[in-house]
Amino acid sequence: MRRTLAVLIVLTACSAPAPPRSAAPSPTPPRPATLAAPTGEHPVGTTVLHLTDASRPDPWNLDAGARELRVTLWYPSGRGAGERAAYMSPRESELTLAGSGAAGVPPDILSRTVVYATTDAPAPGRHPLVVLSPGFTKPVSTLTSLAEDLASRGYVVAGVDHTYENYATTLADGAVAECLACDSDTDPGFGTGVVGNRAADVSFVLDELLKKKPAMIDPTRIAMAGQSIGGASALAAMAADPRIDAGINFDGTTYARLPRGFARPFLFVGTPQHAPGGRDHSWDRDWNLLKGWKRWLTVTGADHQSFTDLPQLQSALGLKPLAGTPGAARLAEITRTYVAAFLDEHLRSRPQPLWAGPSSRYPEVKFGS
Amino acid sequence: MTRAVAAGLLLLLAVSCTTPEPPRAQAGSPESTTCAPPKGPPREEAPTTIDVVEQAYFCILDEYWRAPAMDPRDLLVAGFTALTRALPGAPLSLPPLTGDPRGDWAAFEATYRKITDREDLAEVTLEAMVAALDDNHARWMHDVERPPGYYDGDGYGLGFQVTGDDPLFVSAVEGGAARKAGLRPGDVIENVDDPGLLRPRYPDGQPVELRLRRGDRRWSVTLTPGLYPRDLATLQVVQSRLIDDEVVYVRVRGFSPDAANRAFRAIDRLRAGRSVRGVVLDVRGNGGGSPVEATRLVSAFVHGKVTSHLCTVDDQCEPGQTDDTVGLVGLPLVVLVDGGCASACEHFSSAVKAHAAGLLVGTRTAGLISGPGEPFLLRDNTVLSFPTRRHLGPNREIVDRIGVAPHHFVPPTPDDAAAGRDAALAKALTLLDTR
Repeated sequence: MRRTLAVLIVLTACSAPAPPRSAAPSPTPPRPATLAAPTGEHPVGTTVLHLTDASRPDPWNLDAGARELRVTLWYPSGRGAGERAAYMSPRESELTLAGSGAAGVPPDILSRTVVYATTDAPAPGRHPLVVLSPGFTKPVSTLTSLAEDLASRGYVVAGVDHTYENYATTLADGAVAECLACDSDTDPGFGTGVVGNRAADVSFVLDELLKKKPAMIDPTRIAMAGQSIGGASALAAMAADPRIDAGINFDGTTYARLPRGFARPFLFVGTPQHAPGGRDHSWDRDWNLLKGWKRWLTVTGADHQSFTDLPQLQSALGLKPLAGTPGAARLAEITRTYVAAFLDEHLRSRPQPLWAGPSSRYPEVKFGS
Repeated sequence: MTRAVAAGLLLLLAVSCTTPEPPRAQAGSPESTTCAPPKGPPREEAPTTIDVVEQAYFCILDEYWRAPAMDPRDLLVAGFTALTRALPGAPLSLPPLTGDPRGDWAAFEATYRKITDREDLAEVTLEAMVAALDDNHARWMHDVERPPGYYDGDGYGLGFQVTGDDPLFVSAVEGGAARKAGLRPGDVIENVDDPGLLRPRYPDGQPVELRLRRGDRRWSVTLTPGLYPRDLATLQVVQSRLIDDEVVYVRVRGFSPDAANRAFRAIDRLRAGRSVRGVVLDVRGNGGGSPVEATRLVSAFVHGKVTSHLCTVDDQCEPGQTDDTVGLVGLPLVVLVDGGCASACEHFSSAVKAHAAGLLVGTRTAGLISGPGEPFLLRDNTVLSFPTRRHLGPNREIVDRIGVAPHHFVPPTPDDAAAGRDAALAKALTLLDTR
């Protein structure tokens, strides 16, 4: 199991050093995880859209003449909603676990993760939009805890599965796309290529969403957040697409060249390894190029996956967190609170006291630079 | 993994998501092991002291393949020589050395401590000892710093590649100063003989003056090294295409961890549903990488053979076999080679040639294959790497410094480069025609 964990961590931490963690086999058969409940006032609805960009060939599958994307929407809903949504399909769970090197747990266990969003729920009102982009090899469902919370607080969330960049994406025809991009992830320029592709994915998704869901989405209030290379992609997408007003990067080494005078709000949230002046120079480089509102936070004890669902899934996967790491519930609270404060500040123009500096309620959160 | 291939992402990823630790070829007994392979993510480098030099000295004597046949005093003399050059005014003399490594080290260290405690001099001493091995796979990695403003995929330097011997000429313009100055493939460089001078590495930022000739026109430019973005498509380690709907062309720029499988998938994809005459594997400029990947790539064209040997200094050799779990491609093969094909690339090329698995076209390979470099962590968190066993070819022949000669010598020319012609590839297609 130690080996399993090591592999999982290695494969999940593709742009920042991951501290070693201890693991022990769980004594009882693992049970599926239940995600932290959303904290906002709205019930949450969810639906999946399959979108095809015929204007460009797929960057990974050389035999695909168009780029197929799966987008999961989470949105503020009304009462009387339908069935609880699935976290992912059993097949996606199996491929994700296999790709991550996880063993010794039922292969479908991730698909049995309990979420709060329901399907076929009504979508009343028009709301700001937040695009989410996951880490490399991860489906966007690994950001469900954050997505559901944001939807409950009144944001429409569009989680993008960047096809062939994770272990499993079920496409419109039911075929499951696997990680073709994993083949070339040691190539020089790989990260730069990925964030370029993702920026194109996101611009296309925005085109489609604004066209297809005009009653649901306020086109003048759009932000993007992501983890690891998904966070790097938030910056890349903003550089390429002026419709995105603000962005958040969770612990991702960045790759995109920023235009001069880039002044839209941006938030870096990292592990202590991603503090200013650390081994990864990319945030220091970009920090100097960000000319607008900006903050650089590090979270004491956090690791590369702390801002995703992984801490909440750990016990289901038979993994134990390392001593010194904040608990799963605490990590979810920190992540959700700071993301919401950022979005409320910049998409809703509601000044947030959290940005004044360190908060006694969140002593783990350090302000860098 | 050469710098060319490792550039960019690899270093960033090295902390958490690249290859598993390479296996140690030979483990010393616990008492004699003064250095061990690095484990876990790299840590911040500490100052290099004379104690680090001591650790490196004994590490080399314990683990380096040729150490049993070396006079350990040579390392100390090399280190001391470098010290005298760094301190021209100091009244330095080397103490008497007896050939006993421990006693000699103690004498050396005592002398050193009397002279200096400067960190940069410890670095100079250690660098000189490593250089004294005169081994193309021995290196001490320290102070590896990226230029400020670096983006993944960027190049650093003058912005062009050179080839040829006499004359040296521009083979490709990648960007940067060369593109700004209007250099073009085929431009002959008349005032530089050593191509190394045209490949400055950060932090070297000295401008380089070039006298150029294009046809009858002669002119001079001064290029300043710097960072420049490169075309990402050209950086992909495995690139493939179909030529004339009947030959599969696959370029393998380096033996990165998945290179062989990527090449196999490219071949499978391009031959599917058509009648293909053969495969051209272009390994020109392939600076090496994983010997496992080199072996797997050979194994798609021949089974049941020895591809290389790893040998101790007294010729105790372990043969490396083809990986016969790899499916045979079953098509005629031509391999394009040149002086940029080094290390694992020469392992591959020598095995193809020795077992007649294909024909080699181009120019002689680099001859940079002393043996696989094994990393050792020093106590200042820098890494010293060198071969613990030497590489010999499939017939136990020495390939290091010699290289692998092609079956068909087709050198690149300035005229071909200027016209965008690839004479070696044209020759390969002819060979596949007549097979």
